[in-house]
Amino acid sequence: MSMISGDKSSTEILSLKSSDNEIFEVKKEVVLESITLRGMVEEDEFSDTLIPLPNVEGKILSKIIHYCQKHTEARAKVNGSEGAADSKEIKDFDSEFINVDDKTLLGIILAANYLNIKDLLDLGCQKIADNIKEKSVEDVRKTFNIKNDFTPEEEKAIREENLWAFD
Amino acid sequence: MTDWSQLPRDVVEVIARRLTTYFDALRFRAVCSSWRSAVSQSPHRLPCHFPIVPNEGFVETTCGFYLSKRTIYRLGLPEDRISTCIGSSEASDGWLIKVEEDVPDMMHLLNPLTETQIKPLPSMFPKVLDLSDLRISELGQDYVLQYINYRPFVNSFVDAGSLYMEKVAFFSSNSSLSASSPADDNDKFALLTIHVSGKLAMFKSGDEKWTIIEDQRSPYDDVICFKGKFYAVDSMGRIVIVEPSATVTLIASHESHVFGGDKKYLVESEGDLLLVDLYLSMDTGDDSPFENMDIDDDFYERIESYIVEKTVRFKVYKLYEGRQNWVELQSLGDRLLFLGDNCSFSASACDFPGCKGNRIYFTDAFNCSNGEDDYGFKDVGVFNLDDGCIGPLASYPGYSKLFWPPPSWIADPSAGTNALPD
Repeated sequence: MSMISGDKSSTEILSLKSSDNEIFEVKKEVVLESITLRGMVEEDEFSDTLIPLPNVEGKILSKIIHYCQKHTEARAKVNGSEGAADSKEIKDFDSEFINVDDKTLLGIILAANYLNIKDLLDLGCQKIADNIKEKSVEDVRKTFNIKNDFTPEEEKAIREENLWAFD
Repeated sequence: MTDWSQLPRDVVEVIARRLTTYFDALRFRAVCSSWRSAVSQSPHRLPCHFPIVPNEGFVETTCGFYLSKRTIYRLGLPEDRISTCIGSSEASDGWLIKVEEDVPDMMHLLNPLTETQIKPLPSMFPKVLDLSDLRISELGQDYVLQYINYRPFVNSFVDAGSLYMEKVAFFSSNSSLSASSPADDNDKFALLTIHVSGKLAMFKSGDEKWTIIEDQRSPYDDVICFKGKFYAVDSMGRIVIVEPSATVTLIASHESHVFGGDKKYLVESEGDLLLVDLYLSMDTGDDSPFENMDIDDDFYERIESYIVEKTVRFKVYKLYEGRQNWVELQSLGDRLLFLGDNCSFSASACDFPGCKGNRIYFTDAFNCSNGEDDYGFKDVGVFNLDDGCIGPLASYPGYSKLFWPPPSWIADPSAGTNALPD
């Protein structure tokens, strides 16, 4: 990770273009939160510092940038140590950040996966795992719009896995 | 409608890794075939019957012990089914159970606080329960050592004398495994219990015999594994941590706080370690027997039934780890504490509608049940921290329903769903 040392590279600004042609000006250190983008930047693929992201729409990209900014700042506050993610302030930010509607949540997860931002992907996936905890199987299928595609043999095996027989 | 089918497989795997309980993983595997393949095959439960634990250096009369694990669960209906069970007053009820898995998937149902097996099951009780329709949360575990003279898999609960009657605290190096990674036989574990002498005894997997820990001022009352460490409390209120090397570190001495009660318990509640102090008083019972007593041959036998020790109240203290001291808690708030024969655990009253928080359920060892077959619930008492009232469970019908009988939706699991047939 780049250190906050006041050298020119840490204040370099890059531009990110969403699928719907919205342009975001972002500090390079924030962009580097994404492993995917870090690879692109380091290979100097984009000499004019504009990076197109055809997979991510503006509404989602804006949120992703906000997340990365917040986490970069928090890390800077504790001088780059790994403990930043555990602070109460960041935890509160994260839980509010991920408290979004399903469509946005899916967008964030897909973008975090594409951009390879591990902490954000974990955050989104944890939210889904937590949502699933409270639901019956049927309700999970309804919520996630998933079809039951098991064969009768598989259904039988599943039923057996989920049974308790009492003596 | 959000199109979740866009989730790529590697993301489904990330979600699967974030499931924390065995039952969440089971449910995940039951959704569809791509989710099923994202969670490893047949996630293993921790074994319920561990390898034989030798008795050397511990109890002289047996060849050794089996270690059995029982688990305490709260069963309930999932949100969607509660809302469709309109008109059913029991839809949001929780059911508190303790089960031991015998042969795979054959469960024994046990009284959560005593060692009594709930047997025979009433005729309306389903022979088989479908877990995918239920919400299951684990509240605690109970470990018992069973003398090896008794066959562990057949009728092992008929005789409670087959059990070593002290609390066993258990630690496994693999206890923080996630639901989707299996346990294996190479996992190391450690046990801490109380020896007949009142000293602590420790056994670690791979040891040839038990280690009796000499450090003792007064007999130990309780042990617990809390946040990966063994804690023990003695009857004076001295709390120690016991390291795997069997060295003992004082956490809080009884000199810093005078505990006036007669028996101490350690229990975890919402991430805090609590010490519960039980107070007994000598009571002459309801009759005033001494005036009319005949001094005859039976006198000394009968006198025991006239002088009874009764549990009269509890005090609760919370450990402040940084400050190494105990502070008395005036209220448990929404929490319920359960102090059983060999296990202790806590729960939230909002999981059991009809129960109020700030109560302690305990097994009243000093209350003589008349032996009627009621699955051991006659020995359970309830203490109310609000007003200090104490009494048997039977005096509080609203509070016993979390144990027995089971809510009506157990008998008819498909009630309340409006799922259309495929």
